[in-house]
Amino acid sequence: MICLSARRPIVWLAAALLAAASLAGCDDATSTQKSSPEARAAAGSGVYPASDYYEQTPGKPGGTLRVSVATDTGSLDFHAISDTNSQWLGRIIYDNLVYLDDKGQITPWLAKSWTISEDGKTYTFHLRNDVTFSDGTKFNAEAVLVNLEHMRDPATKSPLAAAYIAPYVSGKVIDDYTFEATLREPYTPFLNVLAQSWLSMESPKAIRENPGKLGEAPVGSGPFVVESYTRQQGIRFVRRKDYHWAPDFIRHNGPAYLDRINVDFVPEAMVRYTSLAAGQYDLTIDAPTQDAAAIRSSGDLVFDAKIRQGNPFRGLTFNTSKAPFDDVRVRRALALAINRDGIAKVMGFGEFAPKADFLAANTRYYDPAFRSVLNYDPAEAGRLLDQAGWTGRDAAGYRTRNGQRLSAEVLIYGALSTAGTVAIQSDAKKLGFELKLAVLPVAQLLQRRAQNDYQALAGGVWHTNTPDGLYILYDSHEIISAKRIGQNASRLSDPVLDDTLERARQSNDPVLLQKLYSSAQERLTELVPAVPLYENYSLIAYHKDVKGVIFDTSHNTPFFTSIWLDKR
Amino acid sequence: MKLIRHVLLRLAIGIGVLWGAATLTFLMVNVTSGDAAVAILGGPDALPTPDALARVRSEYGLDQPIMVRYGRYVEHLARGDLGESYRLHVPVAQAIRQQIGPTIRLAIVAAGLAVFSALLFATLTAGRGRSVRSAASGLELVISSTPSFVTGILLLIAFSFRWHWFPAAGNEGWRSLVLPAVTLALPLAAVLSQVLRSELDEVLEQPFIAMARARGLSEAGVKIFHALRHALIPLVTLSSFVLAGLLGGAVIAESLFSRQGIGRLMLDATTNKDIPVVLGVTLMAAFVYVIVNFLVDLANVAIDPRLADEAR
Repeated sequence: MICLSARRPIVWLAAALLAAASLAGCDDATSTQKSSPEARAAAGSGVYPASDYYEQTPGKPGGTLRVSVATDTGSLDFHAISDTNSQWLGRIIYDNLVYLDDKGQITPWLAKSWTISEDGKTYTFHLRNDVTFSDGTKFNAEAVLVNLEHMRDPATKSPLAAAYIAPYVSGKVIDDYTFEATLREPYTPFLNVLAQSWLSMESPKAIRENPGKLGEAPVGSGPFVVESYTRQQGIRFVRRKDYHWAPDFIRHNGPAYLDRINVDFVPEAMVRYTSLAAGQYDLTIDAPTQDAAAIRSSGDLVFDAKIRQGNPFRGLTFNTSKAPFDDVRVRRALALAINRDGIAKVMGFGEFAPKADFLAANTRYYDPAFRSVLNYDPAEAGRLLDQAGWTGRDAAGYRTRNGQRLSAEVLIYGALSTAGTVAIQSDAKKLGFELKLAVLPVAQLLQRRAQNDYQALAGGVWHTNTPDGLYILYDSHEIISAKRIGQNASRLSDPVLDDTLERARQSNDPVLLQKLYSSAQERLTELVPAVPLYENYSLIAYHKDVKGVIFDTSHNTPFFTSIWLDKR
Repeated sequence: MKLIRHVLLRLAIGIGVLWGAATLTFLMVNVTSGDAAVAILGGPDALPTPDALARVRSEYGLDQPIMVRYGRYVEHLARGDLGESYRLHVPVAQAIRQQIGPTIRLAIVAAGLAVFSALLFATLTAGRGRSVRSAASGLELVISSTPSFVTGILLLIAFSFRWHWFPAAGNEGWRSLVLPAVTLALPLAAVLSQVLRSELDEVLEQPFIAMARARGLSEAGVKIFHALRHALIPLVTLSSFVLAGLLGGAVIAESLFSRQGIGRLMLDATTNKDIPVVLGVTLMAAFVYVIVNFLVDLANVAIDPRLADEAR
C-alpha cells in the first residue's frame, strides 16, 4: 500500500551526466523518442490483452533470473507489513486461498471451491489436499485457521492484513480439508482480499514455533523457496521441484521454469536503468519512467506500465470538516484548477494517464461516465470561487472574502514528490488560492491527522483489487479518530455515499454492484473529497529474452511462475 | 600515575559524551509531540487495528510519563539494547550487526587506499618546484570538492557500464569493493595529501634534512627515511576527519553501488521513519567516534608524553 517514491535528486544529476558523458555510449538514454500512441492509449484505458494474464505456450526450464528493485521490504512476513513490493514477492514465496481472473472474478487456488451462506456471513472453503509447505507441513484447514489468527494477532502488528479481515470473527476446522469462516456482517470483499499477498498462507508450523523468524526465514508453499535474505542487499530464491498447484487461471502446470531468482535492491533509478541496459540484470521492477522512451526505442528491451487496481494517485485530500474546504464549491474549484495533464507528464514522462475520477480504470465496476466531470477548467473554477464569495483580491493577487485571504495549509503526506506538490501550489496560485506547504515529522503529522487539526493533505494512494477501496477512503466509518485509525482523511461523511458503499459491501449481485458502484463514483465527483491526479502504475522493464511475462490480476505486478529465459 | 589519571579522565569524558548523545536523541524524538504508535504500525498509509495500537503503546511504553520512558531507555542502552526496529521487526542491535560487516570492509579498504595514495602523491610532489606543487594542489582541490556521488556515477559509467570491469551493484567478491572504495577514498586522499605535502615541505627545510643530504642520501631516500616520519604525526590527528568522511560517504557509496551496509540501513530507516534504527545508528556512530578519539589521544600521548600534562 505504501507507495515509495524511488526518485531522488541524484537522478537528475545522473541524467545530466549521462547526456554529457560521451564515453558511456549512451545514445539510448538521450533518445527523445516518445512512446507510441497505442501505448499511451493502453496506459489510460487500463484494458490489457487477456494474454497478459495467463501462460500462452510452455516455456523452457532452467536458468537464473536476475531482478533489480528499488527498495527492500524489510521483512518477508507479509502479514506484518504493508510494503507495495509484498505483492509480487508474495507470489514467489507463498500461495493464497483464491485468485482473481482478468475480469476480477474469484477463481480457485488453494481453495478448490467455496460456498457462501444465504446471510453472507459464513464462508465454507473446500481445500486442495495435495499441497505442502516447503518445511514439509501439510496445507489444510488447520493451516488456514492459524494464518487468519496470525494476521489479526496484535503481536503481529499488522498494518494491513488484520484490517482487511476485520469482519472475520472466528474460524472452524470442519474436517482436514474443509474450513469455515464466520463473519460479523456480510463482507463481499473478503474473497478479494484473500487473493492478495498480504494475506498469503504461511507454514502453520513456522508461525507456531518461531513467529519472530518469519520475517527473515519465511516458509510458504509457493513455487520458490527463500534460500537467503540479506537486508539491503537481496533475496535468493530456488525453485521447488514438487510445486504443482499454481492457480488454475494462469494455465501453468507443474513447477516454475526458472531454477533461481536473484533479487537485488538497487536504490538509484539511474543505476537500475543502466545496469539493465548493460545486461547485468534481466528484469527491473520500479523501472524509471524517465528512461521509458529510451527503453521502448532500444531493440533489446521491453517497458511495461500497467495501472494498479483500486484508487488513483491523489494530489490533495481535503479536510471536508474544516474551512475553507467545508464548502464543496471551494473543493470543486481547486480540483478544476489543477492541470493534471501537465503534472502527469512531469511525474511520468508521458507514461502516466491523468485521472479526474475516483476509481482506477481497470478496477471491477469502474464506470467511465464521470471521468471528465472534474477535468481542467480554470474559468469554471474562478466562477465557483466567485459564487462562494471569494471575490476580492489582495496585494499579492490572492482572493479574499471579508478581508480574509483564501488560504490553506497542506501537510505533505505520502508519496507525492516535491515537484508534484509545488506544481499544484502554482496552479492554485493562478486561481488566487494560497496553498502553504508544510512538511512535518511523521509522528506529528499522524497526531494532527488523528486530532482533526489539518486543512488538507498532499499525496496518497490506495491500491487494492476491489472497488471496496472507495469504502476504505470515503466511508464515514473510516474517519480517523484518536482511538481508531482509518484511511478516510477527507473526513467525508455523506449519508448517501455511506449507504451506497455499505450496501455494495454486502451484495453478491453483479448487476446491483455495478449500479451501486456507479452511483458511488458519480457521488464522489459531486462531493470532491480529494483531487485525483493520475493513475498509479506497476512499472517493469526487461530484456526480450525474458519470456512468459504475465501479470498478477490483483495488482498488475509480474507473476514469476510462468517466466522463462530464452538465452542463446 | 599521570598517564593512568589521564586515561581515566578521557574515559569519563567519553562516557559523558555518549550519555549526552543518548539524552539528546531521546529528547529530539520525544519532546516533539506526535503519535509514535501509528508510525510504528506503518505510518500514514497503514490500517492498524485498535488491538494492535494498544499492544504497541504498552510494548513501547508510550502510555508512560516521559521520565519513566527516559529511565527505561537509558537502562536498556546500558544493557546494549537499542530497541526494536519499526519496519524490520527485529532488534536494532541485530539490524546493525547484520549490516556492519560490509561497511567496515569498505571503510578499511577506502581508508587504506586514501592513506596510501596520499602518501605516494605527497611524497612525489613535495619539495618540487612551485609549478609542480600548485598543479598538485589544484588537482587535490578539484578532487576533494567534487561530490562523491558525481565521482561515483562517472566511475560507474566508465568502469562498469562501458568496460564491464567491475559490477555496478552488490557486494559479492573483491571486484564489487573497488569502485565504492575508490569513490570513498578519493576526496579523503586529496585532503590528506594536501596536509602531508605542506608538512613535508616544512620538514624538508629543517637542518637535519640538510645533514642527511650532506651525507649523500638520494632525494627519495631523504623523503622516505627522514622527512616522512615527521610529517606523519598530523595524520594521526586527522583520523577523526577520516572517520567522519568514511561514515558520511558510506551513505552515498552504498546507495549508489547498491551495497549492503550501515549507510544504506540509515538511509532506508530515515526514508521510512524507522526512528529506533535512526537512533541506534546515530548512537553507534557516536560510540565509534568516542573510541577513535580515545585511541588517537592515547597515541598522541605515547608519541609526546607532554600532552598528558596539558590535558589536565
